[in-house]
Amino acid sequence: MAHQPCAIVGVGQTHHKTRRWDVSLGGLVREAAQRALDDAEMTWKDIDAVVIGKAPDLFEGVMKPELYLSDALGAAGKPVFRVHTAGSVGGTTGIVAAHHVESGRHKRVLAVAYQKQSEGNAQFALGSGRGFSIGAGGAFAPFMRSYMYRTGAPAEIGPMVAVKDRKNALKNPYAHLKIEDISLEKVMASPMMWDPVRFLESCPSSDGACAVVFTDKEGGEAAAKAGRQPAWILGSAVRSEPSQFPGRDPVAPQGAADCAADVYQQAGITNPLEQIDCAELYVPFSWYEPMWLEGHHIAEFGEGWKMVERGDTEIGGRFPVNMSGGVLSSNPIGASGLLRFSEAALQVRGMAGEHQVEGANVAIAQAYGASAQYFSMWVVANSLDPFGK
Amino acid sequence: MNVPVAVVGAAHVKSERRTVEAENRMVLRAVRAAMQAAGVTKDDVGFTCSGSGDYLAGGTFAFVANLEAVGAWPPIAESHVEMDGAWALYEAWTLLQEGEVDVALVYGSGKSSPGDIATVYPLMLDPYFLTPLGLDPVSLAALQARALLESGRATERDFAEVVARNRANAIGNPNAQVSGKFDVDELLRADYVRDPLRRHDLPPISDGACAVVLATADKAAQLAERPAWITGIAHRIDVHQPGFRDLTVSPSTTAAAEAAGIGDGPVEVAELMAPFSFQELILRDAIGLDDSVDINPSGGALAANPIMATGLIRIAEAANQVTHHGKARTLAHVTGGLDLQQNLVTILGSERP
Amino acid sequence: MAGTVESTIKFPYKRSLGPVLGAFMTALTEQRIMGIRSGGRVIVPPLEWDPDTGVELAHDFVDVGPAGTVESWTWVAKPTAQHPLDHPFAFALVKLDGADTALMHAVDAGSIDAMSTGMRVAPRWKAERKGHITDLDAFVPGETPETHEGGGAEEPVTMMDYDATITYRIPTTANQLRSDQASEQGRFLGLKCPICNRTYTGGRGYCPIDAIELGEEHEVDLPQKGVITNYTIITPTPYPGQTATEPFSRVHVWLDGTDVVLGYQTLLDVPNDDVHIGMRVEAVWASEGEKVDKDPRMEGNLIGFLPTGEPDNTDPDLVNRLH
Repeated sequence: MAHQPCAIVGVGQTHHKTRRWDVSLGGLVREAAQRALDDAEMTWKDIDAVVIGKAPDLFEGVMKPELYLSDALGAAGKPVFRVHTAGSVGGTTGIVAAHHVESGRHKRVLAVAYQKQSEGNAQFALGSGRGFSIGAGGAFAPFMRSYMYRTGAPAEIGPMVAVKDRKNALKNPYAHLKIEDISLEKVMASPMMWDPVRFLESCPSSDGACAVVFTDKEGGEAAAKAGRQPAWILGSAVRSEPSQFPGRDPVAPQGAADCAADVYQQAGITNPLEQIDCAELYVPFSWYEPMWLEGHHIAEFGEGWKMVERGDTEIGGRFPVNMSGGVLSSNPIGASGLLRFSEAALQVRGMAGEHQVEGANVAIAQAYGASAQYFSMWVVANSLDPFGK
Repeated sequence: MNVPVAVVGAAHVKSERRTVEAENRMVLRAVRAAMQAAGVTKDDVGFTCSGSGDYLAGGTFAFVANLEAVGAWPPIAESHVEMDGAWALYEAWTLLQEGEVDVALVYGSGKSSPGDIATVYPLMLDPYFLTPLGLDPVSLAALQARALLESGRATERDFAEVVARNRANAIGNPNAQVSGKFDVDELLRADYVRDPLRRHDLPPISDGACAVVLATADKAAQLAERPAWITGIAHRIDVHQPGFRDLTVSPSTTAAAEAAGIGDGPVEVAELMAPFSFQELILRDAIGLDDSVDINPSGGALAANPIMATGLIRIAEAANQVTHHGKARTLAHVTGGLDLQQNLVTILGSERP
Repeated sequence: MAGTVESTIKFPYKRSLGPVLGAFMTALTEQRIMGIRSGGRVIVPPLEWDPDTGVELAHDFVDVGPAGTVESWTWVAKPTAQHPLDHPFAFALVKLDGADTALMHAVDAGSIDAMSTGMRVAPRWKAERKGHITDLDAFVPGETPETHEGGGAEEPVTMMDYDATITYRIPTTANQLRSDQASEQGRFLGLKCPICNRTYTGGRGYCPIDAIELGEEHEVDLPQKGVITNYTIITPTPYPGQTATEPFSRVHVWLDGTDVVLGYQTLLDVPNDDVHIGMRVEAVWASEGEKVDKDPRMEGNLIGFLPTGEPDNTDPDLVNRLH
């Protein structure tokens, strides 16, 4: 069966916090899933298949938690899937769930991604339990240094992104970090964590979950008719490359470029800067915003940081990025990718509340993982043919 | 209307109790051999999907190392499940339905030797009520086995007969780790390790890998003289808590088999993933297989149990029966979790659907 | 002859229980076993959701037991450290009176001969109870629970500890062994792919580009000296197992005349403020008898890199040389 259209008709997420000690693992995922079902005006029994995604199980110390969580998500008697592609997993989870519908195989699919990292410790898990863990920040710091050099970007660019995303987070009721007095001075005065990246330029460690309900053309059209605007998937893609080999460029990875090219081609996008209204990109450390703008062909080489400097990526700017506050404001690692994908969907559905980009019709979302080697992206819109092909 | 998908090549790395070789090297060898068998190069492959488990290897990103073994350059469209490679195959099959990709590579791998199974596997359970009891997989299986005996639907002799048959079948399987001719009465004289289970009722602990190449429609017909066509594939899961369900039946297996088309006709061969001997009896009943069906000609999971690849191997073996042993309709079953909680069934045939 | 690296992952996980599991665990401290109504059944242990449908359950708790019936069991003749009892016991599914489902736990029957499906058992409680499934020490044959005076939690229980310890014995691969042997002799061993000519280190026995195995025939000796192309200074954060106390540097070193860049290496004897790109460095190896904290990710006997004192390499593009 040829690729079938797929609509997002329900989105839910938890209030992301350092510690969601008010809930069990089941309670955390159900909070997000129930919100998504409510949004879709469905109940558990309406779902045909469940796709669960999360990052390393070592974070919570539960192996293959989908076995325990399956009936927590109403999946007894149904197909359950568990995706794991490192940091990009949230995105991949959404894409795999969408394929369940696009293949014509299932009609209504629930995707849930989560991380309850307060039960463990992310630095511990990333370092496989040994001392002197460099963490994700330490691993990416040299890449960011290289970007700063090769583009000549001024040192404030990273901090500017950090300020923008935290200000956006103040408009997002679910976001983790609420730093009312965030400012450039405050960011640049914060302790250096992974030189050249400072504490306030880095993502928090969050407990959180995100859930999305996908359905087919019929379901999407029914929702639209009932006044509940769906988000249509215009394209999705994943790319992976090896983590290290002589000659690899981890700063502007080939995988990032190829993934974007694929997804734009599917969606009929030839000029991303003009045709896309806003983006949710996986930015766990400030400098990744200009890096991904360039890495995904939205800006030419060396122009990404200028977009930041000009304010283009603010909510009211030319190309808003991370209107939700992004990963810099909430980072339940396994869920963060699906949060990006969900927020893009909320934008084109006109449901992003205070952080809504006015008139957003087409949005992209991206997640990346491991040594900047796993990429997942999608393009969503509020119609199946926004460019009038 | 489904896009017809077939297995056009497969390869295993022979399972061993304890390999020195790195997991990704085993993956490399399995992938290369499978692609050679299928007659494809990496340029032909439109999607790659794998199954493996971090906790088995003791690392946070074990699957990343496995990716390194498949020549992912230029970058590839690829995904990974923290499940048996059989589910990676399901994901690939689902993608192939969209008609944009015509060749997919699937692999599953795992080394069970570095960790202590009894310590690692309790982590796969309810973290509040079960893991803290250190409920090891053999104990849980033994509870299930006793329940089956108490139901009157099987005897310990039946268990031993499953073992004898599987191990005898494994003699002809070059990838088997455990094989041999065993006398049922002698098996029954062995001590229990976990009453009512004896050592031979348990799966071997294995390191291994398996790779399968899928292709669609005309491409499959082009690549293979006798493709093994997937005529149906489905999976379901049961409630998690062992105390909440009847452990002597497997409703998710029954449902998966029905959805995969078991009702459309008899199967000649069934490769059932029964890591514990008695589970084969539960699965036979759940799927509805009578004595005319040849079960586990490969020796099944009792012959080799490289966790995260054992299930994919069942599919490869069932496909092998079509491609190289002239069978018209075969079945592969795969289980995930510890007590047949999650089950996948696929039916393969010699006729292009 | 291959060796093995033993690595133990130890972590004290802290789990939050939520309202239902919290109520159950609190009841355990009070020597009560609690189920919850789900549809027409009473399920034990209680869940927040109906397992058959996923529907949220009202907090309609029901005390069950104290006694129950064994539905299935197995004998653990040789318990290990992870098991709830340190002498032979049975794991059993126990359907407590008033419950419609069975609870998994231990039965301290004394001997296998005392075990049977259908036997009656009652809980034996621990004297000190904290709100954990093992507050229930085990079930014992008979109808009468073994209880203690008082000891119920003063506050509702909300958290549970789980101390994980898993030991892995990872065999050293043939390539890793050769790399370690070279390392013991103070040498970097590279493996050069005959197809693409890239060189790999650290016993990496394959080329990820061409997907071929690399072995002894592909070995090359790598130079000891190189240049720092990039770096970071890490401020340590606390976590179980953390041993770093002060900010420390990690540098990328491009070995002279090769395509090999070693990432995240230790730089010795250089204050963090003096770390810079272009610094010429050379490898420092542990001498015989010197103990090296064997982090399996680091190159065998390599302690780190030391400045050579040679003039810097001033090429500004060095910073891009990450791989």
